[in-house]
Amino acid sequence: MQQSSRLKKRRISTFLLYCLAILVLLIMVYPFFYTAMSAFKTPEEFVSKPQYALPAGFYLGNIKYVLLESDNPRYFLNSLIILVCVLIPVLLFGSMAAFAICKLKFKGQRLMLSYFLMGLMIPLQVCLIPLYLTFGKLHLTDNMLGVILPQIAFDFPYTIYLFTNFFKFLPNEVLESCVLDGCSPFKMYSVVVVPMAKNVFLTLATMNGIFCWNEFVFAYTFTSSKKLQTVTLGLRDFVGMYGATDWGRTFTTITLTILPTFILYFFLSKYMLAGMTEGAVKG
Amino acid sequence: MKIGKNNFKTVLFFTAPALIIYTLIVFIPIIWSSVYSLFDWNGIGSMKFVGFNNFVRLFTRDREFLPALGHTVIYTVAQIVLQVFVGLLLAFLLSSIPKLRSFFQTLYYVPVVISSVAICQIFEKLMSLQPLGLINSILGAINPAWYDIKWLTDVNLCLGSAAFVEGYKYMAMYMVIFYAALLSVPDDLTEAAKIDGANGFRIAWNVKIPYIRHVIVANCVLVLNGSLRAYDIPYLLTGGGPGNCAQLLSPYMYKQAFSSMKYGYGSAVAVMIVLISLVFATVFRRIFERED
Repeated sequence: MQQSSRLKKRRISTFLLYCLAILVLLIMVYPFFYTAMSAFKTPEEFVSKPQYALPAGFYLGNIKYVLLESDNPRYFLNSLIILVCVLIPVLLFGSMAAFAICKLKFKGQRLMLSYFLMGLMIPLQVCLIPLYLTFGKLHLTDNMLGVILPQIAFDFPYTIYLFTNFFKFLPNEVLESCVLDGCSPFKMYSVVVVPMAKNVFLTLATMNGIFCWNEFVFAYTFTSSKKLQTVTLGLRDFVGMYGATDWGRTFTTITLTILPTFILYFFLSKYMLAGMTEGAVKG
Repeated sequence: MKIGKNNFKTVLFFTAPALIIYTLIVFIPIIWSSVYSLFDWNGIGSMKFVGFNNFVRLFTRDREFLPALGHTVIYTVAQIVLQVFVGLLLAFLLSSIPKLRSFFQTLYYVPVVISSVAICQIFEKLMSLQPLGLINSILGAINPAWYDIKWLTDVNLCLGSAAFVEGYKYMAMYMVIFYAALLSVPDDLTEAAKIDGANGFRIAWNVKIPYIRHVIVANCVLVLNGSLRAYDIPYLLTGGGPGNCAQLLSPYMYKQAFSSMKYGYGSAVAVMIVLISLVFATVFRRIFERED
């Protein structure tokens, strides 16, 4: 008798926990659902119907405008170019440095690691003024390179940290046998280490890729002309121009800019979440 | 153990690219920033050495700096509550439901991967008054007086609104870390407590929280560092707010340097941000790690 009442109590509490979990889910996800559905509303619907009402039909005028008549496609292209130019050097140079720090023998290895990790504590705002002035002299302001370089540099601390965490546990026996086979460090890195670290590469590509797509401060500070704007800057300007008057187009633009991160995240969320916990629980 | 002999060139080949980029873009500018902070300089004319005058001025004659510092402290406390405390509660919630955990975890994490610009635009619309945004239309349905709560333009509310949005965006990041830490609590500890007759709440409070204590402290330091330098959300959402009621240190530094062209003075604010972050983090660690 007592057993069954305890079981019942347990069921009720589990049920309540699920209700709570669903409530939190609504809070975390509803704003994005609302944004996406608002992209399909006609201008009149925003005025005549309450905000939470679903769109009456699939009105495509907003999407047509944003894709064909606004500058958004260009912003997408810019962001994509920057993304590629940031990711490749960060992953390549970051993994190379981490490999050397973990597996090669030289003086000052620990010092070099602490030097890179120090970057985790540095707020990027400190570097903003000197970078702005230096880039100005080197003609790197209003130049894609001026947005790419700082992102690469500021991605290194975290990237090298996660890579070293992984490389530390690579069995030395494997690497030793490579050396006995007459393998050079270069070949060892590219043929043995990189394939073994595939998951870490994916994790870091996802994380850095999402950070890069969402980047605002460097692009905002170092570029001024419209043709170099990234999606985040473009979104801000677009909303600045139409935001008060045209909600449909605004929500459409927001939806389109977050769509790539959404897709990437849902395919690679496993890696992204792994990177988060790996970095912080041990750190 | 390390592999074989490595000559200098090999090491250089592997480390030089990262080392050079990192040194030029992260390390050297920190030194320059500290140097600039001792000068009065608008970026074009000659630099005038003023010693520590910039710092003295910040604390004695600047009408915006101390309020900005105060707002930043409030903002940071709010972030600790939202990101660490609520994040921990969410992690407990996740670990206490039997199924669908990774489904909920993945979806809770969505705000973290959305750009601050997009989040701010969405919340600007949700908190809008003209036309009536979602939040006020729901609140107004409960009590008509709540139709016109000015979330982003009321002097008393705008700092809180910005803090809420920042917390909302990053909450799940810490939830994920706490969740992983909670899963690492050994089963025999919780089983032993259960046999001793402890209920779920006591197990959480007396067993699990002490076990993951170092993760909590580490997360607090991360949140502390993150919010003392918060820039994009407060700037994008409130732009400092009416009468600078939501001005924080980082946007203030930005304003001094890039709007008023006071590079020396702006650098002094930047240096203060670093110093304050370091002091807060050190003090925090001292207080909470001393007892271990």
